[in-house]
Order: sequence, then structure tokens, then C-alpha cells
Amino acid sequence: MVTACAVGLSACTDYEGGLGRGYPSDKTFDRGIDKKHLSQLQAGIWVDPNGCDHWIIDDGVEGYLSARLDKFGKPVCSGVAPPTHTAGDFKGGSSIKDPN
Amino acid sequence: MGPTISNALRAIASLTMAAALTVASTSADAQTRSQQGRDKGVYTPTIWVDPDGCEHWVMDDGAEGYMTPHTTRQGIPVCRRGDVCGVMEADQFFATDKYNISAQGRARLANFFQSTGAVSYIITGHTDSRASDAYNMRLSYNRANSVAHVANQVGARIADVRGYGERMPAVPNNSAANMAKNRRVEIICIR
Repeated sequence: MVTACAVGLSACTDYEGGLGRGYPSDKTFDRGIDKKHLSQLQAGIWVDPNGCDHWIIDDGVEGYLSARLDKFGKPVCSGVAPPTHTAGDFKGGSSIKDPN
Repeated sequence: MGPTISNALRAIASLTMAAALTVASTSADAQTRSQQGRDKGVYTPTIWVDPDGCEHWVMDDGAEGYMTPHTTRQGIPVCRRGDVCGVMEADQFFATDKYNISAQGRARLANFFQSTGAVSYIITGHTDSRASDAYNMRLSYNRANSVAHVANQVGARIADVRGYGERMPAVPNNSAANMAKNRRVEIICIR
């Protein structure tokens, strides 16, 4: 994170307050300048090398990835994009700029 | 850090763990540096609902984000709405024990796929509980394949075709009406 602070001040700001002893056990909010409850995250799709879908979210300096499953618990392999490609505005939920 | 303070911290951490888990916890406290911060290594998640309506555990510890699907202990995703967009009652498309579809049935299915316009479709066949499990697995798969064939002909992309036989009943098989409901082909629309 020291490197991130040196490269981008906004990333540093997002981390601020957590320095030292960290945050309490409640991990249900994004704190910092893009603060929000985590239910508000905005996802797109990332297609794995096998062709199966995952929900991808780039939320400022936090990244999230979680399998897309159908109601039977099987991976959803929709063909919405080629393997390793993404679809949808998965960086649109945060205004924080980072190198990626 | 002196042993007295360390023991006090361990006691507090144990209480926190017990409260969070509501089961008698083993002393999972302060084993490593990762449990020695302000949160004592206790990560309380919240729920994020994906665009399909299914839940995921999500956490933000300040600099990192974490996410994983919320499933039951049987591995089935917890979803707030079904993603089934079409249920074809088998009796309207198939004769008993058969899996070929009439011309009229094919036209109805073609119209369904053309008007829905999803990215792709998952087709699952289901039966009632009469006859053997193995027979029903085969029949439901053959019926799902017949539906997928129609989808293919009108240019719809098929993500998967499955036969679940009598293993995923929509309702209990305890009346003639319910058994008719279980004889079905479900179409999941991926958008």
C-alpha cells in the first residue's frame, strides 16, 4: 500500500483511517472517499479460460471476483465474451482512479 | 508484550469469536500476526446481490475487497428470485415416454427463443417420480435436447443441456396435478 500511496493520492486517501491498527470487525462498508454499503457494488462479467462467467468488480482500490452460478449450483458459461475477456462496466461503481 | 496483557487480549478475542459465531469457539485467537489487529481476525461480511438475484458474501477491510458465493451447505446458491424465464409443461409438448416435439410445439418454442433474445440459454429436463431414476434421467435429457435443437435452429446460443430426471421436483409428487407440474422443461435465460 505504500507504493499505492506514492503513485496515487486518491488511493492513499481511501486507505486513510485504516492505517495503524486497522478497522473493526464490521467489514460491510467501503470507507474512504468512495464510501458506501457493499450491497451497492457494480459488477460486470469476467470470462475464465474455460469460458465460464464470474462477477468482477473494480471498486477503486478494492477488487472483487465471485463465481456466477445457476440455481442448481453449476457454473454459468454463457459465451457473453471470449475467454479472459470482460463485459459490462465493472469499473463504473467508483470514481477513484488507480493505474488499472 | 507481557503474558498478562496477552492473556487478556486472548480472552477478549475468544469472547468476540463466540459472540460472532454463536457456537463455542476453540481459541482461534492471535495465532498469527493476521489475528492481532483491531478486528482480531474476525471478518463480519454482508450480502451483495448479483444481477441474477443470487447472494454473495462480501467484505472490505480497508484496502482489500473479498467476495465468495453464498451457498447452502449442499452447495446450492442462495437466490432471491428464480432465474427461470420459461417453464414448458411437458404434457403440452411431449407424448408419454416420448421426446419428439410436434410441429406446433416447435413453432411455439421457436417463437419463445426469438422473442426472448437472451445472451444464451440453459435447458433442463425434469420428470415426475414414476418409473426408475435411470429411465427418468434419460427421458428428461432427451426432452431437453429436443428443446435445445429447436433453439439451435433459430440461432439461439445454448450454454448447457441437462436432464435432472425426478431429482429436482418443483412440487411434491403427491397428486396427479403436482406430478404434471413436475413433468417439465425449464429454460434459464442468461442475460
